[in-house]
Amino acid sequence: MENTIEQIRENALTEIENASSADELKALSVKYVGRKGHITLFLRNISSLPEEHRPSAGKAANVTRQLVEARIKEMIQQIEDAEAISSGSIDVSLPGRLAKQGSLHPVSRINQQISDIFKRLGFDIAEGPEVETDYYNFEALNFPKNHPARDMQDTFFVSDDIVLRTHTSPLQIRIMEKERPPIRVIMPGRVYRCDSDLTHTPMFHQVEGLVVDKNIGFSDLKGVLTTLVHQIFDEEISLRFRPSFFPFTEPSAEVDILCVICRGKGCRVCSQTGWLEVLGSGMVHPAVFENVNYDTSQYSGFAFGMGVERIAMLKYGIDDLRKFFENDYRFLRQF
Amino acid sequence: MKFSLSWLQEYLPIEMTTEELAEGLTMAGLEVDSVTDRYAYLDSVLTGKIVEIKPHPNAEKLKVCLVDTGDEKRTIVCGAPNAELGMITACALPGTVFPNGAVLEKGFIRNQESSGMLCSKSELGIGLDAAGIISLPPDTIVGQKLAGALGISDMVFEVDLTPNRPDCLGIIGIAREIAAIQGSRLQYPDIESFCPGQSIAKYTSVEIQNPDLCPRYSAGLLLDVSVGPSPFWLQDRLLSIGLRPINNLVDVTNFVMMETGQPLHAFDFDMLSEKRIVVRAAEKGEIFTTLDNKERSLLPGMLLICDAEKPIALAGVMGGMNSEISEKTINVLIESACFNPGSIRKTSKTLGLNTDASFRFERGVDPGGTVRALKRAALLMKGVAGGRIVDGVVDENPIPASESVIQLSMRTTNRLLGMHFDQETIAAHLSSIDFSVNTINEDSLEVTVPSFRVDVSRHEDLVEEIARLSGYNNIPTTFPLIPADTKPLPKRLTIKDQIKSQFVGYGFTEVINYSFAKRSAADQLRLKSDDPGRSVMEILNPLSEDQAVMRTSLIPGLLETAYRNVSHQIKNLKLFETGKVFFNTRGKSFQPQEVEQLSCLWTGKRVESSWYGNDSDCDFFDLKGAAEGLFHSLRLEKIRFTALPLEKCSYLKPGHSAEIYIEGEPVGTIGEVHHEVLSNYNLKQAVYTMELNLDLLIPRIPEIRKYKSLPKYPSVSRDITIIVDRGIEAQSVMDALEKIDEKILEKTKLFDVYAGGKLPSGKKSLSLRLTYRSTEKTLEDDFVNDIHRQISSVLIRTFNATLP
Repeated sequence: MENTIEQIRENALTEIENASSADELKALSVKYVGRKGHITLFLRNISSLPEEHRPSAGKAANVTRQLVEARIKEMIQQIEDAEAISSGSIDVSLPGRLAKQGSLHPVSRINQQISDIFKRLGFDIAEGPEVETDYYNFEALNFPKNHPARDMQDTFFVSDDIVLRTHTSPLQIRIMEKERPPIRVIMPGRVYRCDSDLTHTPMFHQVEGLVVDKNIGFSDLKGVLTTLVHQIFDEEISLRFRPSFFPFTEPSAEVDILCVICRGKGCRVCSQTGWLEVLGSGMVHPAVFENVNYDTSQYSGFAFGMGVERIAMLKYGIDDLRKFFENDYRFLRQF
Repeated sequence: MKFSLSWLQEYLPIEMTTEELAEGLTMAGLEVDSVTDRYAYLDSVLTGKIVEIKPHPNAEKLKVCLVDTGDEKRTIVCGAPNAELGMITACALPGTVFPNGAVLEKGFIRNQESSGMLCSKSELGIGLDAAGIISLPPDTIVGQKLAGALGISDMVFEVDLTPNRPDCLGIIGIAREIAAIQGSRLQYPDIESFCPGQSIAKYTSVEIQNPDLCPRYSAGLLLDVSVGPSPFWLQDRLLSIGLRPINNLVDVTNFVMMETGQPLHAFDFDMLSEKRIVVRAAEKGEIFTTLDNKERSLLPGMLLICDAEKPIALAGVMGGMNSEISEKTINVLIESACFNPGSIRKTSKTLGLNTDASFRFERGVDPGGTVRALKRAALLMKGVAGGRIVDGVVDENPIPASESVIQLSMRTTNRLLGMHFDQETIAAHLSSIDFSVNTINEDSLEVTVPSFRVDVSRHEDLVEEIARLSGYNNIPTTFPLIPADTKPLPKRLTIKDQIKSQFVGYGFTEVINYSFAKRSAADQLRLKSDDPGRSVMEILNPLSEDQAVMRTSLIPGLLETAYRNVSHQIKNLKLFETGKVFFNTRGKSFQPQEVEQLSCLWTGKRVESSWYGNDSDCDFFDLKGAAEGLFHSLRLEKIRFTALPLEKCSYLKPGHSAEIYIEGEPVGTIGEVHHEVLSNYNLKQAVYTMELNLDLLIPRIPEIRKYKSLPKYPSVSRDITIIVDRGIEAQSVMDALEKIDEKILEKTKLFDVYAGGKLPSGKKSLSLRLTYRSTEKTLEDDFVNDIHRQISSVLIRTFNATLP
């Protein structure tokens, strides 16, 4: 009997090795381990063996069955895998079926980046009307009528008293009229100036910021704006604060960064100065606080504003402001 | 504001390099825009020696010179009478741009080649001598740059002054700032030799009728002058900052204005009726001819300088033809006044007449500086035009400027700056720019503001002076203590961001168009006469006709964008834009109604042809699918798309467009753009658009998402196909199913619509898959079949339908 099971195993393995198709192998599976297969029959006949031989014969037969089954399965897989390749594998280098994403306008992209920075700093975000009254756009911000400071912003008029807002600053007033300190908020939005050339478009985007509380000082303005510039550009970039003038802040400062193009050596982009102006800022002017009935002996604050397109130009290396509003698909798809 | 280094050096020695000076001014708040070498144009003018000279073969007065310019010998034709052999002179090489703008080119003069030009001082703008070419000393090295040989160099600075610093609209003001930066002293021009006295009162008088518009008017008199060209130094000063010399008297007024910031005017005294000055406001209908020979219609209130009977100048803006300095002028009245800034600005704006004088007056001149400037001008005039100064000045000052004294608190200053300054430091900074400082107590300083600093009136103004003089970059960098915020961000902002990323995910590209539109946009969109989109807000001063009004729809911008891209051969476009539209609801004296819109546009192919499939054009349902996807992700329910009624189809194609309702309120439209509108925008391919009013949509988005527990029992599906009239909307079938309100009907899905083929014309078949599920048990077939039959029969009855 022992010889027989060994013979069966040997015959089976030889046939398996010689098999050339899955069908052949399936037939061999029937032949050896099927209901009437050689091994099955051998096991069924074990009871006819002398009692002392039965355990070893049974064990040998079971081992053989497992071996044959495993080998057949393995061979079938090998053959099927080989067939999958030979019977027409796909060309993985063909382009995929497109799941085409659109793209955000670069202005939105920068806006979101700036908002994200300020959200992390605990700032609110607010929006307001784009067509403003003279009071909010100028008067309340300490631009008196017939004052040359109004020349700083070429204004589109709807009537004597209604203008397209020239900056996002009117929102400072609207917010302070409604809320009490502490205030920390950014105000992104579209603004309009009556100017159009290589470096000006009649509409552009600003992000305004306002912080008002007890004990806010110019050093805090420097801290927040330094953080902002470092987050937008990079941690290493040098910046400087330069005295300037805005009617609604005092002291006022402009923030320059070291030119991202020439790294301070002087080039066309920075008009050979080595510096690029990126932010206007200052301590909120007491006249502004008086207009919203804030007690200037208790509260102080700072405000800042930046041009979104300008930041986008510097970050992405865009050399023509007008590209932002031409909406050329080939431009937009790059962002 | 322009100044030259050499002019500046008249008032103080400059200890800094050009770069340091520019940097120092910029960091003190006087931003230097540019620094240019005034004599850069002389770079191609070399010293040259005439080594050979012979007559011109074809011209009697010309000579042909061979000039040694070091590197080579050039043949140059010259007409100067003083040209002679061995002379070392100025030789301009081809390419030189002369001060008068002419460019020197290599060429032929009367058939004789000439590769350069021998120049006079006048031709080179470095002197008045035009009689002959420059003659340099015989030991001059040949071939060097002329500027080097003559030792002339000068830098011109242009400062971009902020409107709060009129004190720096005179070079002395800038010199004062530099003195503070350098820690050096300023040398003011000497006016001691001006004789005091009262003689002038015998000659003339000044009467101010509107003191609020003219708080101060000073006048001086100079007799027996000779008007003529200014000496070179004076012309040169003016030319260095881009002013044109006119005559010696006018040049002095301009020079002193540039020096002190005080605009002056010189009148021909003999043209003045009764030889006196009256300052008054214009009356209705007055007409006046200004120096530029233009007749100006004046508005009441505009300030005039008059004599006894007529206007002679538009105060602070421009003088008049009738009293202009001319070659015949013998006696001169010099005006040095202080006018109300707002009034001057109004006059200048109204008349569109901006002058160097009005620019200064509207920013505010030093009310304490009129007499000083007047004396300086009189002395200079006497120097360049002769004559004699009448003793004394007329100085009418009906509203003397009050001295500004500010109590400065150390504590507040340090708090506002985040600094720890002591009194000495602050006092030193303020004194360096001529503020006077007295200590009151430990905390307080009493600061007197000099009269030329009209911008400084409050405590904070002084804080800024201290901050900028000590240097902004020396202020520490701290971070404010910001308490944790509990307020959520405004919903509309987060939703807008979500909508944007959603559309980007659907393959749409964001565009940003101008908020302006052309007036004809409403016509191009075929808007009806009563369409709210016709209530536009007009801009009084638009940059162009294309931007004359504020838009009332985002669609024109998208169509224009589509056209521009299609003309670049980009024909498959999926675009979206969010932004405000503006409705003039209450007239132009009020703010318009601003509405936030989302619009999108789809045109061209849905998919482009590729190795796995053919291309196919996009259609209504592609765009509708994007809309439905958006509504679904925003958890907006009760959305209905209903056919857009014909009377509401303006830019959309009837029968191919829908109105979108949320909870019964119309929030937008979607559809195919009308062919006439397409042709208005030069588009030749089908375009689909959607407009949504975000202000109506966003508030309807549920704040909270509620979880529904998952079903425990399996569902069973049954299909039904009904044949109905073609006009029946699928939605009405869905509505009917909803109305049946069967508890176990979980979901209905329309999976096929078919018309034509074996179906009778005018009919279509709708195939629906109904999914049944109970929350309590597994449904038995018989039970479901029974209910499905009942539902089917309701549908058949309701829609007069048949089964296939």
